[in-house]
Amino acid sequence: MQLVKNILDSLHNASQKNKLLGMFKPVLNAIDGFFFGTPHVTSIPHIVDPLDIKRFMSFVIIALIPAVLGAIYAWGLRVIAVIIVSYLFGGLIEVAFAIARKKEVHEGFLVTGLIFPLILPPNVPLWVVAIGVMFGVLFGKEVFGGTGRNIFNPAIAGRIFLTIAFPQIMSVKWPLPFTSGLGGFVHYQNSVDAVTSATPLALFKTQMLLTPYTQLFFGQGTGCIGETFRIGLILGGLFLILLKIVDWRIPFAYLFSVAAFSFLGNQFLHTHFAPPLFQLLSGGLLLGAFFMATDPVTSPFTKQGRWIAGVSLGVLTVLIRGLSGYVEGVMFSILLLNVFGPLIDLLVLKVRYRKKIVTAQK
Amino acid sequence: MIKRSKTFKGGYIFQRYLSNPLDTLLEQGIPEKVIIPLAQGFGSEVKLLVKKGDKVSAGQIIGRDDENVSSPVHSSVFGTVEEIKRMNYFKRELEMVVIRADKTQKDYLRVEGFNPDWAKLRQEELEKILYLSGVTALDREGIPTRFKSSVIPPSGVENIIVHGVGSEPYNISLELLLNGKKILNLIDGLRILNTIMPGANMYLALNSRKQKLLEEINKIAVKYKWLKVVPLEPKYPQGYDEMLIPTLLNQRFPYGYSAANIGVVVLNIQAVLSVYEAVCEGKPLIERIIALCGPGLKEPLHVKARIGTPLGEIITPRLNEKLKSRIVLNSLMTGVKLNDLTLPISRTFSHLIAIPEGDKREFLAFMRPGLRQQSYSHTFASSLLPFFNKTADTNLHGEERPCISCSYCEEVCPVGIIPHLLSKYIKRNMIDETLMNYNIFNCIECGLCTFVCPSKIPLLQHLKEGKDKLTMQGCDHAQCILPYFDMKGIEEYRGVTKL
Repeated sequence: MQLVKNILDSLHNASQKNKLLGMFKPVLNAIDGFFFGTPHVTSIPHIVDPLDIKRFMSFVIIALIPAVLGAIYAWGLRVIAVIIVSYLFGGLIEVAFAIARKKEVHEGFLVTGLIFPLILPPNVPLWVVAIGVMFGVLFGKEVFGGTGRNIFNPAIAGRIFLTIAFPQIMSVKWPLPFTSGLGGFVHYQNSVDAVTSATPLALFKTQMLLTPYTQLFFGQGTGCIGETFRIGLILGGLFLILLKIVDWRIPFAYLFSVAAFSFLGNQFLHTHFAPPLFQLLSGGLLLGAFFMATDPVTSPFTKQGRWIAGVSLGVLTVLIRGLSGYVEGVMFSILLLNVFGPLIDLLVLKVRYRKKIVTAQK
Repeated sequence: MIKRSKTFKGGYIFQRYLSNPLDTLLEQGIPEKVIIPLAQGFGSEVKLLVKKGDKVSAGQIIGRDDENVSSPVHSSVFGTVEEIKRMNYFKRELEMVVIRADKTQKDYLRVEGFNPDWAKLRQEELEKILYLSGVTALDREGIPTRFKSSVIPPSGVENIIVHGVGSEPYNISLELLLNGKKILNLIDGLRILNTIMPGANMYLALNSRKQKLLEEINKIAVKYKWLKVVPLEPKYPQGYDEMLIPTLLNQRFPYGYSAANIGVVVLNIQAVLSVYEAVCEGKPLIERIIALCGPGLKEPLHVKARIGTPLGEIITPRLNEKLKSRIVLNSLMTGVKLNDLTLPISRTFSHLIAIPEGDKREFLAFMRPGLRQQSYSHTFASSLLPFFNKTADTNLHGEERPCISCSYCEEVCPVGIIPHLLSKYIKRNMIDETLMNYNIFNCIECGLCTFVCPSKIPLLQHLKEGKDKLTMQGCDHAQCILPYFDMKGIEEYRGVTKL
């Protein structure tokens, strides 16, 4: 502890003397705040909740740990490299903006930097990861004014950009996961020769094949890095809901409406719409519902708005999956709802605070 | 008779904090000198009746004004008037009477006409005793009598609410206030109030977690048809008039006005006990029981102190010298910070809370498990282990960050406004009717939004600022209230209701 303090103090002194180093003050302050907390005191009320944004965001990361471990097991140690690249380049943009704005480095990026790699295909080249995360943080968040003001979820913005810019890389080659022994914990990545196969959703779309549910559940299917180990995602999501970090309404409404509408679709048009359980357990739905649709900044903030958003997300996802040319609809529907979030809130507020008719009592 | 206790939407139940006051009561004794402000509790400043050098007795009325809404003020000790000066006392410029006390005389003058068998007294005699004893000045709007002690006459009262909910982080101990025979005193006090205001329904709202006390009171209360005992969850801010009235009476509250304006008198337990003491024992309001709580003290307990005793005499010898403490009056959520300990205590004081000033930095603070942290979210070990008492300090526990719209503040808001939204409007200086439409004037300044905010945004401060700016622009809270309510006594003087 004393050691960290000494290093920080000497860095602080150096930054005060050197102008160039002085620019990096936000970074220093962030590190300082990370280790030592704050000396500031309250005014009124005299006591405040000890929960801060650092802890808030840390818990999202903790909730993602099972999914990350599952991903490493399935896709090899390369996943760690992808995550490091994502943090490095995304962090670069974040710090650059903090320096330019002369503001603090905000913690929101810690979550973006981890979620972004989880929604990429396992064999994505590292340079693509770097481009994607930089685009996501820059155009998904910073151009709107940084954390708290962004309209789009930065991770999804980056991912959609990659999907459109590099369709070949992003949606054609899907390696098979490790399924036995120590799996990915002792390999860098599955050998290039391993048979590549389509994702479960694509298999259904093209050949009406339903992948077994246990395979989907325990992460033996193909798919993006972090979306296949679904039991870990469910556990992580429930953990966040129990801790009140995310609101239960959006994931519940989202998953429920996916189940309901795919049941209806399956009844009437079973060639296009997969059965409910399959829909719930395939693609990025669970990751999206628990970790991305619930991002408090970009989702509606009113309770009613959250219900509306959840249900519309479900409808959109089922429709895109069933009727469009795309295989997966979670990302697009979340991005679309990000756009409509403020509008939904505005409508809810209009209804809630509509002008009362002036009538005196009695 | 287990019924689900009534409650309201929003709010937050504080878990038990460390160093809640013990059930012991100490006599503070007579101080060297007392300083008595001429406006205490509800009412305007009264006219001085003594001059420098006068000999006064404890219980003697030294200030009285029958023209305006007020109650008499007494000397709390025997002694001589040493000085009369104007000074600033909690944002009011007041006349203060400094009395050098005679420490040998611990007695006091009884109020004229008191009678242990109070049932023999007529209604106007009861009212007179209450008025002369000063008890009528207690609580936010006082007790109505024919002597202009409140903004409404006794006949205008439709409901009386007596509450001991204890929803604050630190509360005065109900068990102490109501130990032994005091329960009977409380009931007698209620009956006296019922005699003065026979038309009013009486509600006695008590903490639903104090089952033993509730049962005892219920046994006695069944005899009286006009009295309803209601258990209430100790959910902050249930003890506020603004929350008690919607919860108990299913009535909307005229935010920004007082309960008296809609014919409700809200009193706390200590006020009713004082009513009993005034009528049956002839004791004027010269003493208060004050709960001393918080980890900044050596030992948390209750003291009975004469009004006018300087704060320092009560609290300084009991502070833990090893800690730098902040002393707060009455409530950790809304109370003022007491910097000047030479100020005297007045009738409105009920709690003095000392919590350590948290200006020290903590290594890896945000990663600590937090066994003793009070948190709205469940991210601390304390939510798994609720039996650990929680610590309190004034550290901000994190840097201020932009709002992430987590809507914790909306969830806890007891009056259904969206603090984070309003705060964004106010910060960008977009101050117009939109704010009014979003019910900014409903804000009762309970401070819960600022308490729960993980981004450490001073939402309460922003909301206050917004209200002030709106009022300066000519949008008054009256516009939101007056068209909807049939208000009583609003043309009368309104005192400072809260510190």
